Amino acid sequence: MDAKNHTGPTITAIATPPGVGGLAVIRCSGPDAIRVAEASFRGKATLEDTPGHTIRYGWWYSSGEIVDSVTVSVYRAPNSYTGEDVVEIGCHGGPFVARQILSDCLALGARLAGPGEFTQRAFTNGKLDMTQVEAVADLIHAQSKLGAQAAARQLHGGFVSKLSAIRSELVQVAGLLELELDFSEEDLEFVDRTDVAHRLTSVIVLCQNLAASSAGAEILRSGFHVAIVGYPNAGKSTLFNALLGRDRAIVSDVEGTTRDYLVEQVIIEGTTVHLADTAGIRPTSDTIELQGIHLTHKLVQESNAVILVNDSTRGVDYSTELLEDVHRVFGQKSILLAHNKSDLGMMNDSYIPKGLFPSVFVSSSVGTGLDEIRNWIAAQISVETSIVHDVLVNQRHAVLLSTLADRCRDAKLALEAGLSPDMAATDIRLAISTIGELTGETWNPEILENVFSSFCIGK
Amino acid sequence: MPNSSVLDVIVIGGGHAGIEAASAASRMGMRTALITMDRDTIGRLSCNPSIGGSAKGHLATEIDALGGVMARLADASGIQFKMLNTSKGAAVWSPRSQNDKDLYPRYAQSYLTTLSNLSVISQSVTSLIIKGDTVKGVITDSGIELFSTAVVLCSGTFLNGVMYTGLTATKGGRVDERPSEHVSDVLAAFGLERGRLKTGTPPRIDSRSVDLSLCTPHNGDDVPKPFSIHTKSVKNRLACWQTSTSTTTHDILRTGFDRSPMFTGAIRGVGPRYCPSIEDKIDRFADKETHPIVLEPEGLFTNSVYVNGFSTSLPADVQDQGLRSIPALRNASVIRYGYAVEYDFFFPYQLKPTLETKAIQGLFFAGQINGTSGYEEAASQGLIAGINAALLVRGEGPFTLQRSQAYIGVLIDDLVNKNTEEPYRIFTSLAEYRLLLRIDTAYDRLLPHGHALGLVPDSVKGHWERKRTMAEQLESWIDSQRCRPDQINDYLTEINEDSISESTPLRVIARRPVAKLRDLINTLDYPRRHLLVEHPDVVHNVETSVMYEGYIKKLEREAARFQDNEKKRIPDDFSYMTISSLSMEAREKLTRIRPGSLGQASRIPGVSATDVAVLALHLRS
Repeated sequence: MDAKNHTGPTITAIATPPGVGGLAVIRCSGPDAIRVAEASFRGKATLEDTPGHTIRYGWWYSSGEIVDSVTVSVYRAPNSYTGEDVVEIGCHGGPFVARQILSDCLALGARLAGPGEFTQRAFTNGKLDMTQVEAVADLIHAQSKLGAQAAARQLHGGFVSKLSAIRSELVQVAGLLELELDFSEEDLEFVDRTDVAHRLTSVIVLCQNLAASSAGAEILRSGFHVAIVGYPNAGKSTLFNALLGRDRAIVSDVEGTTRDYLVEQVIIEGTTVHLADTAGIRPTSDTIELQGIHLTHKLVQESNAVILVNDSTRGVDYSTELLEDVHRVFGQKSILLAHNKSDLGMMNDSYIPKGLFPSVFVSSSVGTGLDEIRNWIAAQISVETSIVHDVLVNQRHAVLLSTLADRCRDAKLALEAGLSPDMAATDIRLAISTIGELTGETWNPEILENVFSSFCIGK
Repeated sequence: MPNSSVLDVIVIGGGHAGIEAASAASRMGMRTALITMDRDTIGRLSCNPSIGGSAKGHLATEIDALGGVMARLADASGIQFKMLNTSKGAAVWSPRSQNDKDLYPRYAQSYLTTLSNLSVISQSVTSLIIKGDTVKGVITDSGIELFSTAVVLCSGTFLNGVMYTGLTATKGGRVDERPSEHVSDVLAAFGLERGRLKTGTPPRIDSRSVDLSLCTPHNGDDVPKPFSIHTKSVKNRLACWQTSTSTTTHDILRTGFDRSPMFTGAIRGVGPRYCPSIEDKIDRFADKETHPIVLEPEGLFTNSVYVNGFSTSLPADVQDQGLRSIPALRNASVIRYGYAVEYDFFFPYQLKPTLETKAIQGLFFAGQINGTSGYEEAASQGLIAGINAALLVRGEGPFTLQRSQAYIGVLIDDLVNKNTEEPYRIFTSLAEYRLLLRIDTAYDRLLPHGHALGLVPDSVKGHWERKRTMAEQLESWIDSQRCRPDQINDYLTEINEDSISESTPLRVIARRPVAKLRDLINTLDYPRRHLLVEHPDVVHNVETSVMYEGYIKKLEREAARFQDNEKKRIPDDFSYMTISSLSMEAREKLTRIRPGSLGQASRIPGVSATDVAVLALHLRS
């Protein structure tokens, strides 16, 4: 019997992001991976004679011509990422070299990998379970240091161990109820309803906490979104440029210069912050500007926090109406009131009213107050991500965890309402099968499709 | 005796599986022979004089809905009827009858004589005729060869059966009956894998030696209900009586452990965990000071009493002393001592879901030979095997039931996918879709199938359709009705429920756990109120489906998802061994079991979700 794991034909793809970079890596996995690379590689030793987990230095030839100097990492099945024979060809960056190497691999019989196909093979070869697959996706997309750490922990199975604790608790509760249903004609005691309710409550709380951490996890995974809003000509774009440290937005004294919006990234204390410069908000009939305002609304909706820029030369209360509007519509979002152009007026700290909202005194052009804004953003990130401990709960997890909590709650309610235990037992069974869906232990074709669709080619 | 060249189906064994198989095959038009060592033993209740009970009552009812025999025999020979678990929710309500152990076989035998296509032959089968990989017939101990297209083997505990009481071992499948010694070896020689199981039965005592004043009576239901849709009414005739063992009893029984075949190692076969012997209970639950004993009368014309809870293979003198340590049984006179029986079974992974063996075409197994325990489990398999034997002869596609359709489906799916290590007994907890598989839905679920197979007569189908109509009328009345506070609040107060302040849909009120549909029918003057008296089962059915509505919808969604995976077929000749990305264990298990669908594959122990994912990817490509 062939001891090696091979799921299908040899596949290949460029594993590094497109564009100009220092290095690029072409990955090749499958029964012919080593043979495919061998055909173009010239080094001191052949790849065929290279043991697993070894890097060879040499030259890549295409139709007799040298393409580049390369390092080839050889992994042998089953001790590789995919569980198959894998070679990773490291070459110099730039669009031409990597593509040439890729097309050589394709010419020698490898097939271009589909999105997530390498990871799919790792999954089908039993190298990763479903939550680990998701962790790989998270790790690849992680927009923060913390996110990468949590994803790495998940890759070690942290989430699954949490879930198996929940599962074993539910299996015990189900066992008690089943015993009552199937055996109480014989002399077995009735199940203690208070004990069952208590155990269900702790499971519900645990699931809810895990599900609630998904918003924070999303921040760690994809970054923190801040929308800069304000009346026209309040200086939003100036502040935007100041926070970026470069002139990205066009700035003018004419109201409504920014009719579209701009999003740029800055790193604040290890987390990617997506700053959005938005169109000013004012009553208008200008169609283009209306569209801009509509966009602003949407941006605020999707942001984690809002900086409302007030033109302090027009008074500290000038933007109060807007502030109240934003608060009314987006009540749960953190809002920072930034009194801009403070260098032009007679403003200082004592003028800032102590209101509902934290405020800061800024001069974008002079550069005062910018650190306070950065600190405020960092504080918001820290609050929002504080409940993310050691697992990254993604959207799929969050939905299933809520379902899980709902099913436990249904069971608890059914018992409390005095409904027969066969109903509660049904809820708990469904809850247990939901855990199976979370971990990938329960076969569900949709999970497979959804998880792998989040990958790019080459991962 | 029929001309040996014209048989379609031969059924070996006249127990509960054999009766159903023979009945189904012959009524489906097959020229059928039932071969048994002694025709007078057909339909014996070898162990307890009772049919049904938790989950087993579901099987008996499903058998009835498919046109089987067991429920009718139970009604005809019943001496007490009780619906179990009525305090625990309709899904686990389960009917049970106490039966006259002499009448049950009489009715069974008399029923079989009414089947025009069936011959009953008193012979012992010693070998099977197998050509290539196809069964062709059987050979009996008098050298007669009988040929047929299909053979259904329902040999119970008779294959190499050995009975034990204390240190005495006697060959046989049942007291005073010979074992069948050759058939098992023939099958093993053909490569079928067999194992050894054990079961036991308690002593029978004389009712005149029991002091009933020291026992608590167990009576039947005030309004006893029959098992079968065919039966109009039944009566309770006798009570059962409960008493219990004490530590004194346990101490006495322990003195016999050194002469117990269970402890000396004479019996190697695994016993049923859920129906343990009294010595097993004492040994495993040493801290329990008492175990219940139920005295079940074995019939109207006998003094024999079955001592339920006292299954044993201890030596006779220890059984005597143990029984007499129980105050109510201090003068107990034993009619027959308890004994254990050890027998061969064949691991049921070797069967298709039709119960045909994968190795030998045309050969079906049903009952204890497949590692199950219980009359109802045996009868369910007999029915399915008999139906499929007939379909095979006709050259038609198989008839199988899914887990989401019937307890019979759960039973057979478990058998063919999971490896039996101990006698398999049905439980409601084995059914994922328990809330759908209620007693009151059995006919809706299965009667149309029974009718299509030709096993349920038109008249019975008509009867069921009339009940369906009544249920639908009642449901639409519930949907159309709103309750005004003045109509309903008196009733709600009476049952300690919150009263209503504005007009409320009846369905909402009916869903309250304490509300009873029959009370609402009275309170709100349902025009067809005669249902309450004439068709209480219809009212119960509607009441349950209203009460469970939310849960039923939830489970129906789950069942639909389940069905999706059952529909993803795996070709019979699919080669698992060449898929190296399947785990070695999965490759072996899949090759051994050859699941028909992706869903079935996912239920085989040792096949992980990852393996199923791999399979899914392969099936797609």
